[in-house]
Formats: sequence, C-alpha cells, structure tokens
Amino acid sequence: VSAAITRRAFVQVMAAAGGGLALGVRTAGARGAAAPGFHPSVWLGIDRQGTIVARVGKSEMGQGVRTSLPMILAEELDADLASVTIEQASPGPGFDALGTGGSGSLMRSWDALRQAGAAARQMLVAAAAQRLGVAAGALETDAGFVRHPPSGRRLSYGELAADAARQPVPERPALKPRASFRLIGRPVKRLDGPDLVTGRARFGLDVRPRGLLRALVARPPRLGAKLVSFDAAAAKRVRGVRRVIEIPSGVAVVADDTWAALKGREALRLVWSDSPHASFDSDEHLRGLEEAVARPGITIRKDGAGRAALAGAARRLEAVYLYPFGAHASVEPVSCTALVERRRCTIWSPSQTPNAVQRLATELLGLPASAVKVHVTLLGGGFGRRLGVDFDREALEVARRVAGTPVQLVWSREDDMRHGYFQAASAHRLAAGIDAAGRVVAWEHRKASTPHNARRVPTDEEKRSPDSVRGWAWGVYDSPYHVPAAEMSYAVVDAPVPIGPWRSVFSPSSVFAREGFVDEIAVATGKDPLRLRLELLGAGDPSVPAIYTIDGEKIDRARLRRVLETVAEKAGWGTPPRPGTARGLACNVFHTETYIAYVVEVALRRGAGAADLPFSVERVVCAMDCGLVVNPAGVAQQVESGVLWSLSNMKSAITVRSGAIVEGTYQEFPVAMIHETPAVIETHLVDSGDERPHGIGEPVVCPLAPAVASALSRLTGKRVRRLPVRAADLA
Amino acid sequence: MPRRDLTINGKRHRVDVADDMPLLWLLRDVLGLTGTKYGCGAGQCGACVVLEDGAAVRACLVTVGEAAGKSYTTIEGLSADGSHPIQRAWLEEDVAQCGYCQPGMMLELAALLSRPAAPSAADVDRALSDHVCRCGSYPRIRRAALRAARSGGGR
Repeated sequence: VSAAITRRAFVQVMAAAGGGLALGVRTAGARGAAAPGFHPSVWLGIDRQGTIVARVGKSEMGQGVRTSLPMILAEELDADLASVTIEQASPGPGFDALGTGGSGSLMRSWDALRQAGAAARQMLVAAAAQRLGVAAGALETDAGFVRHPPSGRRLSYGELAADAARQPVPERPALKPRASFRLIGRPVKRLDGPDLVTGRARFGLDVRPRGLLRALVARPPRLGAKLVSFDAAAAKRVRGVRRVIEIPSGVAVVADDTWAALKGREALRLVWSDSPHASFDSDEHLRGLEEAVARPGITIRKDGAGRAALAGAARRLEAVYLYPFGAHASVEPVSCTALVERRRCTIWSPSQTPNAVQRLATELLGLPASAVKVHVTLLGGGFGRRLGVDFDREALEVARRVAGTPVQLVWSREDDMRHGYFQAASAHRLAAGIDAAGRVVAWEHRKASTPHNARRVPTDEEKRSPDSVRGWAWGVYDSPYHVPAAEMSYAVVDAPVPIGPWRSVFSPSSVFAREGFVDEIAVATGKDPLRLRLELLGAGDPSVPAIYTIDGEKIDRARLRRVLETVAEKAGWGTPPRPGTARGLACNVFHTETYIAYVVEVALRRGAGAADLPFSVERVVCAMDCGLVVNPAGVAQQVESGVLWSLSNMKSAITVRSGAIVEGTYQEFPVAMIHETPAVIETHLVDSGDERPHGIGEPVVCPLAPAVASALSRLTGKRVRRLPVRAADLA
Repeated sequence: MPRRDLTINGKRHRVDVADDMPLLWLLRDVLGLTGTKYGCGAGQCGACVVLEDGAAVRACLVTVGEAAGKSYTTIEGLSADGSHPIQRAWLEEDVAQCGYCQPGMMLELAALLSRPAAPSAADVDRALSDHVCRCGSYPRIRRAALRAARSGGGR
C-alpha cells in the first residue's frame, strides 16, 4: 500500500444541521465521485453541545476501529475522547471506497482524520480569538475547550462551533508533531465495550425492521451441482412458512421466524444434478499440489544465480510442507437484510465491502445508486469472509420477490462453514544449499496453490504472468532473508473449491513453510535459530544490503533484526527452557510493512482429547514493529487474537470428499478453545521512529504456527511439515 | 398449540408459538431480545447460553415446550447499565473484540460464580471449554472471570 496515495487531503465546510461546525475531508487519492461537487470521504461534525461525530467508512469486526479512529481525531482536535462518536458511513458520493480489509483501516484513515481534526481545531481557535479579542497565538486547546491562559477564560467547542463554521478553512492545517501526542500511543480500552457487554450492540443478525421475514436457502450439496426439481408442498405446510422461492443459488424458504424457515427448508424435497466435481477429493488435491512443486513454477524472484546454485553447494537440504483448506468460521454466520420497494432499496449488511453491495443492488434491481441505501452493521467476525457479496445477492434475490417486506437472509452454521469461500490448500517445496563453512549459499521456495476464484476466476494469461502470480505468493517472494543465490516460484493448481480472502490471505502457509525450513537449516547446521536468522539478515556482514526493495516497497533488515533481538531478550532465549518444555522462534515481515517475531514455550499434552491440540503453548512472547502505534491496548488484543487464530490453523482443516465439503460444525472444524490458550501472551512493541501506523490484524497470525512447530521438533524430534497437527504426528 | 407462560428477565410472557421452537428463536425472533446470539444451533458454540432458574443452558437446545413455567435471564437481564460485576470485569479487562460470543460467555460465568466456592483458573477453563470465540479473546476472558470472582461475582 502506498502511503502517498492518501497523504494529500483537502477540507471544506459542509452544511451542518442545527448550526454547528461540519467539515468534509476528501483525500486526493480517493476514487473520483461521479456526482459533481465536493464529496468528502470523511465527515466531521461538532454541534452546539460539543458532541463530535466522525462519519467514517470502516467496518468494526473486532479490530477496534471504533476506538482507534476516534483517538486519531480527538488527538488532532484536542477533544475529550468521550465526546467523540463514530457514525458508520453508508456508500454514497465521496464514500465510494469504504472497504475494510488488508489490515489497512488505520493506515488508510490516518491522514484524513488528522486533517479533519487539525482543521477544525484551527477554526475553533480562530473563532475564539475573534470572540475574546485576542491573538490566536495566545490561545491553547485542551479536552474540548479553547483556553486563554493569561486571562483564565475558556470557551467550549460547542459554544464556538457555529462561529468556527464561518472561519476560512486552513489550506494546510498544522498537524501535531509526534512528540506532542497526548492520546495517540496511550492504551485506551474499547469505547464500544458497554454496548458489547449489555447485548445492545447490533450485529447483522440483530437488525429488526418492522414486519421482518426470515429466509434460509437450500444450496447444492456438492460443488457445482444444479437444481433439477423441487417439491415445496411439505415445506409450505410448516407453520410460519410464507413462500418458497427458487433463486440462482438454490431454493429459499421465507418464513415469519428463523425456526419456521429452518424447518421449512428441511421439509423441502430437492433433486440436484450430479456434481461435475464428484471425483474431487482434498487429499488427492494435496497430492497434486505436492506433485506440482516437484517442478519449478513461474519464477517470481531470482537473486544471483537462482536455483542453479543449489547444484554446486557442498550440502543440500530439502523439505515439502503441506497446508490444508481453511474456513473463516466466524461465530456470527453471514447474513443480510434487505427491503426492496418501488424505486428504492434498503440493505443492512455486516459487510466489509458496502460499495460492492450497493453496486450489486443497482445491477440486480436496475436502480440508480442514489436509490440504494446500505447500512453497515457490526460484524460478528470478518476475517475476509465479508468481502464477498454472495449473501447480499441472495438477500436481494429473495427481497425483490417479496417486495415491500424486509427479509433477513440467514445462513446456518453449516451453510456458513460449507458454502463460503475458503483459504486455499497449498504445497511448498524448499531447498537450501549449504557451503563447507555452514553458510546458506542457495535458496529455493516453490509454492503451488489456487488463487482467489470466488468472485472472478483468473485468466490463463494471469496464471502465467509473474506479476499477477507474485501477488498470490506473499511470504514467498518477499522473504526478508539474504541468500546470494535464491529463486522463488509459484504454480497454479486449479480447484473447484471457491477460494477467497482469509485472515492474512496468502501468507500463513508460506510463512509456516519458510520459517519451519529455516529452523530445519539451523538444526542441520548446528546453529542457533536466532543466530542463523540474524546472519541471514546481514548481522555483522556489511556485504548484505540493509534494505531489500521489491515492487518499490522496502524491507529494512535492521528493523527485523531489532525485533528478533527484542523477542529473544524478553523471552530469555538461550537460557535453558523449563523441564518438559521447548522453545521455538519465527519471524516475518508482512507486506513489507509490519515486522514481527514470536518465541513460544511448548509442552506436549498427553492424553489430550481427540479434538484438542496434542500440545500446549504455555508462553508466547511477541515483539513487533508496526510503525507508529495509535492504541497499544488494541495492539495487545490483536496479538492475542493472532495467536489463537494461528493455533486454530494448527488444529482444524476443511476437507472435500466426492465434491462435497465435509465439515459443517465446530465439532468437525474445531477452532482453538479457552483451555488451549497460552497462560502468558506478552507483546513488546519496537519503536523505529516510523511516523505512520501499519497493519496489525493479519501480521500477528503468520509466524506463530512455525514457532510452535519448531518447538515441537525440539521436544519430539518430529518435524511438523503438515497442518493440522495430529497426536500421531508427534508420537 | 397451547399458549405457554415463561418468565424472561423478571417479566412474565405468554407466548403462542410452536412448542418445538428453541428458546433461542423465541427470544430473538418473537420477543426481540437479540442479545442472545445464534452461532450453531447445536449446542457447540455457547453463544446462546442463558440462565434457566440460575443454571447455564443453551437456548438453542431448550424448546419452548420445555421452557414453559421456568424463569430465564438473558444478557439484557444481567444488568442493562453494565453494572453487574461480570460486566464491569469485562470492561476493566477490555475483553471484547467483535463481541458476538460474549453474552454467552458472561452468562456461563454468572452461573459458575453463583456457586458458593470461588472458582479457580481451571474451573473457569472447564466452564468455558465449549464456548467458541473466533477472535481469540480467551486470555482476557480468563482474567475477567477471576476478577469478577474476586469482587463477589454477583452472588
């Protein structure tokens, strides 16, 4: 993500209801609005009571944007954080790029929110200077007041809001230097906590417009099967069932309540065609991926002599790593509520991509965008699943057939698990050439997997183009390590399974394989895994470039070294581990922006339940350099979240048999539970003086699993190269 | 289809729905108490836990027919203003991420903490061992549970 896109912004006064101050900020990089006039991408209002409202377009799905974004605004505005509320932006002119994903909420909102706060503060000060008859330079701002220290007089922002609206808008509002921050960088608890602990918070399934009907859809049991015929007679006899409607994705049962819709769906008699993918099996697919990495794929990075250098090395190591399909498995299944009326449509969606929802409605219903209102609700977990609009499409297909009545399209747990899109399975083959002195002189990483195909299937040309292929090989092509000869490649292996974004997208499997293999090299060469990594990052070797540049973005190896040194120090790396435990280490640079390392202490868990992890992670130490930290409390939450997500990746998998997704419940796809939670998870932030915030929610996932796998290999002598981990793998 | 009487958060309700309807859907779809969450409908995730005469039950596994005559507490009844010791502990430990699974977690703990003996960390893990939080808020749930227990836990 290029920061330059969002850096320039401009501010205008907007009409304010009730005579307060309203400012719009339009970032120069935002996509052009079709409508003429000024359409801001962030809107800030201060009313006469001093209530501050920021309308922003980031969806809250647990990452804490409803806390961290107000912090940025309150900082530049010198407002009391408690007086700032966030209003969820709906798609519209200006609000034309509302997506939430890629761990980018903070970095993409940073400039506009600062500009808005700084401009408003300057205008409030100018209004106060006029009112008090003093120079603006004699005034200070603090906690929602403009103060005049010499006289002790003060005016609240509410009192000044109307006058401030008549002040000229500063062309370049002065932003605070980092050293002057009072709020940013201090831990702040979730501002929306009270709503979440009282049941007041409204998620997608909690939308309750008057007269709401519920709908469930019966979908094909096997990939690609089609509806041949159906008999709805029994379904229609279920009390509360109103309609049974065929839609493109299946047969919808519309009822007064969810229970009636569930029973009605069960009573449907459905005839499906054979699946064109009836022979598809995920185990066979994994074997196919393994075969694919027996040969090099499309080269996406080549340093020095590339793979050719392997042949000349004194010693060669090789390993294959396998990673399964995965599901998002948010506790709130996807849903969408829609009301289609004559010439207009209202949608309530727990969406990460509300503009796409609006576009979809305009296309399906033939309405102009101005007639489609999309309200974004809270999301009961997102993780990339809600970047899809398949559930919105179903809601609209049903709602248009019961026009005038709102319909909530509900997915059951099984629907959510089996009919979503998935993290792609992958195979990785790594090879290293070691010279007589034990140095790594050659490196090869081949990945075979399936790119996203749920929304659009890549063309054959894209599958062959190094530029597009590289975009599917995060964690492979952007390895931070310096090896004089290195070659990375990727081979597309198609699968009939829908594949789409997932937390950390293409990275988890790549980092699991790469970091696990680095640990294998350490063992084979008798080196300490920390020392080996520091060497590969150029410690003490001036011939290794400090900066690795790829696609115009820079990886600073010194930053990753500092993170590794920090995590080692905090974890007591090098001291003997407690009896019965072993330590493991892994690191990563996510998207060339966030530098992170984990050290874990792991013990075996004998007699663990069949569904439980066969080991326990007792302590996790994380060191991270994620640039400027807005809310350290939020960062610590996300580290804990990433640890548990990654442990789930070591525990559960989606499998496919005869073209059908097998797992439909939490028993079949068991995610990490409280009794598998490490007793200690520590976060240590490393400050490199970076002036900008970077992503956190995805970077925290990747290096945890390989650190655990490395510890397991110390404990058992067994190298975990395939997930999920079963007890038998460690025996 | 007989009418059924039951008490929710201290208020008596007479309902006229299918006897086999799970309490979950009565609460959410008929009575509009959306704080009780749907996560699986099969007793595997714990998002719908409510108190039945003080004991934790999964609202997706209790039918309206079975619920007749009984008294239930949902998250809305724990306290509307967040003043219950478990709610306060939740805020102090900054537990919630997306927050969706939390009502079920809190009510499970309310049942645990209503017992005479203060729970150990292992008791907390056992009580919540079949509650799913996909965001991974477990470390803070543990801390909040023990904090609430120390403050009396609502007994």
